[in-house]
Amino acid sequence: MGEWIAFGALAGTIIMCALFVVLGRNPVGCAIALVIKLFALAGMYGVIGADFLAAIQVIIYAGAIMVLFTFVIMLLNVPPDSRSRWDRPPVEFLMVGLSVLALFGVGIYLIFGAFAGEGVEVLTRSLVTEQGGNTLMIGRLLFSKYVWPFELASILILMAIIASIVIAKKYNTEES
Amino acid sequence: MVPAEYYFLLAMVVFLLGVAGVLYRQNLIMILMSIELMLNAVNLVFVAASRTVGNVDGQIMVFFVMTVAACEAAVGLAMVIALYRRYGTVETNFLRALRG
Repeated sequence: MGEWIAFGALAGTIIMCALFVVLGRNPVGCAIALVIKLFALAGMYGVIGADFLAAIQVIIYAGAIMVLFTFVIMLLNVPPDSRSRWDRPPVEFLMVGLSVLALFGVGIYLIFGAFAGEGVEVLTRSLVTEQGGNTLMIGRLLFSKYVWPFELASILILMAIIASIVIAKKYNTEES
Repeated sequence: MVPAEYYFLLAMVVFLLGVAGVLYRQNLIMILMSIELMLNAVNLVFVAASRTVGNVDGQIMVFFVMTVAACEAAVGLAMVIALYRRYGTVETNFLRALRG
């Protein structure tokens, strides 16, 4: 019962904030709505039982990534959208609507058709506690089975750091 | 316990909102934010499925997806800054250098 109440409240928050991110005109408002949505999703992870991911979600997404977004919005002084959202050719509405509807159909089929009836809880709270808790399970798996992807992820981050510095650097085009 | 289908449905709704945002928004920063919405929806599916499957491999996938999302945000925003320096705008309807 408690999980249902938490699920309902968090799902409502997530959908409202996602709608605001897609429909809002002012980028700063959209960024704040996205932060609230990421916090609600961290709560959802906590409800499911992924405690480690809930903490990581708050630190990485709501902390690092959204700070980067708001920093760029402030740096570029992005104005609200110049054109009104509805002042577009009808064919664009049609294309967006059709693609979303097609994906909706595929998703409904996958959830209720192809993979129906597999939603039985196997990884219960007591089972996780028996094995030493969620974080210990993830840590053990991460440094045994997934140690190579983990090391490759660090190389990926290094590449992204160098790439973003090179891309965003100001080049003096007069000299070259 | 809430069945996993409900989590999948919620994730699908958020993913489709992200798709609509990518297809419809004209501000490059808003497009990047919509991509974050889609990545988050996929993460929710991984976490909800990891509970029904019975191991935490799905949660480790979420860990790696978050790493890639952080890299994507950094590189994407660097490209937005470079575009803004070059063209003075971040709206896609003004960026038409490749349109004949």
